Amino acid sequence: MKRGHRRIETQLAVIGTGIAGFAASIFALKRGLDVAQFGHSGAMAYTTGYLDLLGVHGQRIRQDPWAALDELRRDEPQHPMSKLSNPTIRTAFDGFTDALCDMGIGYTKAGEQNLSGLLPNGVAKPTLSVPKTMLPGIAAREAGARTLVLDFDGLQGFSAKAFEVNFAERWPALKSARLTFPDMENRQVFPEVLARSLENRATQEALAGLIRPLLNGAEYVGVPAILGMHAPDEIRARMEHAIGATLFEIPTIPPAVPGIRLRECFERAFPDMGVKLEPQLKVSNVEFGRSGATLFLHGPMEDLEIEASAVLLATGRFLSGGLKSDQHRLSEPLLDLPILQPDGRQEWFRHEYLDPRGHPINRLGIEVDSAFRPVMPDGDPVNERLFAAGAILAHQDWVRQRSGAGLAIATAYAATEAAAAMLA
Amino acid sequence: MSAHPRGDTLDFLKVAKDLLPAGASYDACVGCGICASGCPASGLHGMDPRRFINMAMLGMNKELSTTPWVWACTQCKRCAYLCPMGIDVSQLVGAARGAWATEDKPSGIVRSCAAQRLDESTSAMGIMSEDFVEIVEETLEEIQENQPRFADLKVPIDKKGAKFVINQNSREPAVEPEEMAPLWKILDYVGADWTYSSKGWAAENFCMFTGDLDAWKEMVETRVDAINALECETWINTECGHSFFTLWQGIEKFGLEANFEAESLVTYYAQWIREGRLPVNSDWNTNNLKFTVQDPCQLVRKSIGDKAADDLRFVVKTLVGEENFIDMQPCRSANYCCGGGGGFLQAGMSKERRAYGKRKFDQIIATEADYVLTPCHNCHSQIDDVGEYFGGAYTVTHLWTLICLSLGILGPDERKYLGPDLADINLPDEE
Repeated sequence: MKRGHRRIETQLAVIGTGIAGFAASIFALKRGLDVAQFGHSGAMAYTTGYLDLLGVHGQRIRQDPWAALDELRRDEPQHPMSKLSNPTIRTAFDGFTDALCDMGIGYTKAGEQNLSGLLPNGVAKPTLSVPKTMLPGIAAREAGARTLVLDFDGLQGFSAKAFEVNFAERWPALKSARLTFPDMENRQVFPEVLARSLENRATQEALAGLIRPLLNGAEYVGVPAILGMHAPDEIRARMEHAIGATLFEIPTIPPAVPGIRLRECFERAFPDMGVKLEPQLKVSNVEFGRSGATLFLHGPMEDLEIEASAVLLATGRFLSGGLKSDQHRLSEPLLDLPILQPDGRQEWFRHEYLDPRGHPINRLGIEVDSAFRPVMPDGDPVNERLFAAGAILAHQDWVRQRSGAGLAIATAYAATEAAAAMLA
Repeated sequence: MSAHPRGDTLDFLKVAKDLLPAGASYDACVGCGICASGCPASGLHGMDPRRFINMAMLGMNKELSTTPWVWACTQCKRCAYLCPMGIDVSQLVGAARGAWATEDKPSGIVRSCAAQRLDESTSAMGIMSEDFVEIVEETLEEIQENQPRFADLKVPIDKKGAKFVINQNSREPAVEPEEMAPLWKILDYVGADWTYSSKGWAAENFCMFTGDLDAWKEMVETRVDAINALECETWINTECGHSFFTLWQGIEKFGLEANFEAESLVTYYAQWIREGRLPVNSDWNTNNLKFTVQDPCQLVRKSIGDKAADDLRFVVKTLVGEENFIDMQPCRSANYCCGGGGGFLQAGMSKERRAYGKRKFDQIIATEADYVLTPCHNCHSQIDDVGEYFGGAYTVTHLWTLICLSLGILGPDERKYLGPDLADINLPDEE
């Protein structure tokens, strides 16, 4: 018995299945490129569903991310987003949220100001675009509206009571209650399980029936993010109608529904859109030749060889395997790209864990030129056909800067544009 | 099932080290819980995949060696599919199963494996080789006599050098031999050069599910020897999932020599349709009945990947009409196991099995489909059972039934898996 062997030819091979990878595929399609994407799982299931652009700069929370970007360019010229203009970043962001809306997950269009997205523990964070299922919660909080927040027996990752208590002073008209979810008695459940169950009309009706008697004049009802997996806006509208109050979702801690939604949305839509997607396989090796690269992947029963004219690396950081570290140094395991780094690990961290300046290790990564090509220490591109985007890039601290999605989307756009120009 | 006092206590961290490929490690678990969130067996017997890994890290070997949860995990590998670290709990579960004392393992699985070892037929329902040959011949004679169009139908057995050798799930010869006919008719229709093997013909392998590696190996060896001896180019696995996985994976795992390629019947259905040799269409579906399809884990996620899911959808859409096909979500490689795999159906744990299957039931109901098509016998039985138990109005059927229905060659006796709405549609002409 021989192992199977499959050969795929493509113009652009995207490596990585996080937001940067999926965004790159979307932008490449729009450019009319033939695109194939590879990766395994990744970190997308951990997102709240919010798309941040830049929420914190200069250790301050920012309402205006565009003005903050102007400051970022001045203060951190090496930051990957500093290489891009505001109009370019906006085009990228809009391109991504429009694509999500087209694929069936409604997102708000990027505005001039950050929104105050609600978090499960009863605080808010600055973010630029939110799932439409979550938008009414922001309005409810701003208006201090009479609101009922619910959780469920056995549910992991969200407490309505904690949400209520933490918001109590600023939002006195907020009340909480706990329900037993239909057919989920006496068991611990993850939000994902409830969301799958709410795909079902009978469950939607049963849950709406349980909520109605609890309203007591509430104009808004908040639930953890469980309103279905594949058509959340429809389910929200249907249940809102059945309940008779404005319904909204609140993100939960990982593993949370909004991230799983995004992942499954891409997996569902991409094959029809023409992306050759292998979301289960990691690229094990890449070899560059004169006219492109060959990628090697190994499935359970077959080996894949991808002939690509250009490669876009969006493999993320440590969690998704884009970067590795041992006791002494950081490395990029797939292509062994150079990483500018201090001599020893004593320079990786500051003394205080919560130092507001963040830890140097978080800003280590791949250095790129203005065309988002990884570069050698002398500044020359590693290969004319290799591009990189997302969290793997150096000189950013996306967690602390509240800029994860913005970084991923903007650099994916720029890298894809550069790849398209090279291929033209 | 309850925790058992006998059997071996495994050192799970050591087992993990031995099983894992270089570079992977169980201590890479960041505890995110995406595995547990996406696993239908989570919560059964107070266990879930994340807890299993955490307990292994903590050295809770006694608890892991005795928890009956290992029989509720169907080893579907959805956890490994989701885990950013690629941690595969199913392999630890397999090792844990193997460490149970035989008398404490679910007797249904143990009995089925024992039946397979009785005779070279390898049938879990205990059908001996000569009985299989006799049942096939009798069934064939009946078709030849009663269905004029198939008066010359051939069902070769042990035909050396045929292009294809095809296996056969035991359920049909054992309890519903008329259900073998649709596949024979399809093979006849496309003019396939095929044969059954009288030895190692059975498409089930409960020995793998017992966790007994020696028994699994013995099963695969018997089958590989039988197939090698026939010198056929390709072994085609019938509409079944796990018998495909156990064979190719067994060949790799145990380092056996196989002089044939392993393929799924679904791949050939798709190929024959594309080549015009199987001219099926959806003209019969005048009422626009809606269909969904179950991706068997063993065939898609664990073996061929999304290529098999693509072929499956191509076949089904051609058969029922693109507009009448509704995918379950999630699907393809991300699909949920139905709860019929891993020997769960035979484990005597119906309460847990149905709790597991509730997620599949919800998924099906959300499609609002009238029919569920599944190219796997265990999926077929489980989806049928949970449908009845939870009150679903759908019907579960095989692909071969629908293919023959579309071709107008599905006899009245071959329609037990169709609802009354299709009982009289496209009946063959009486001659």
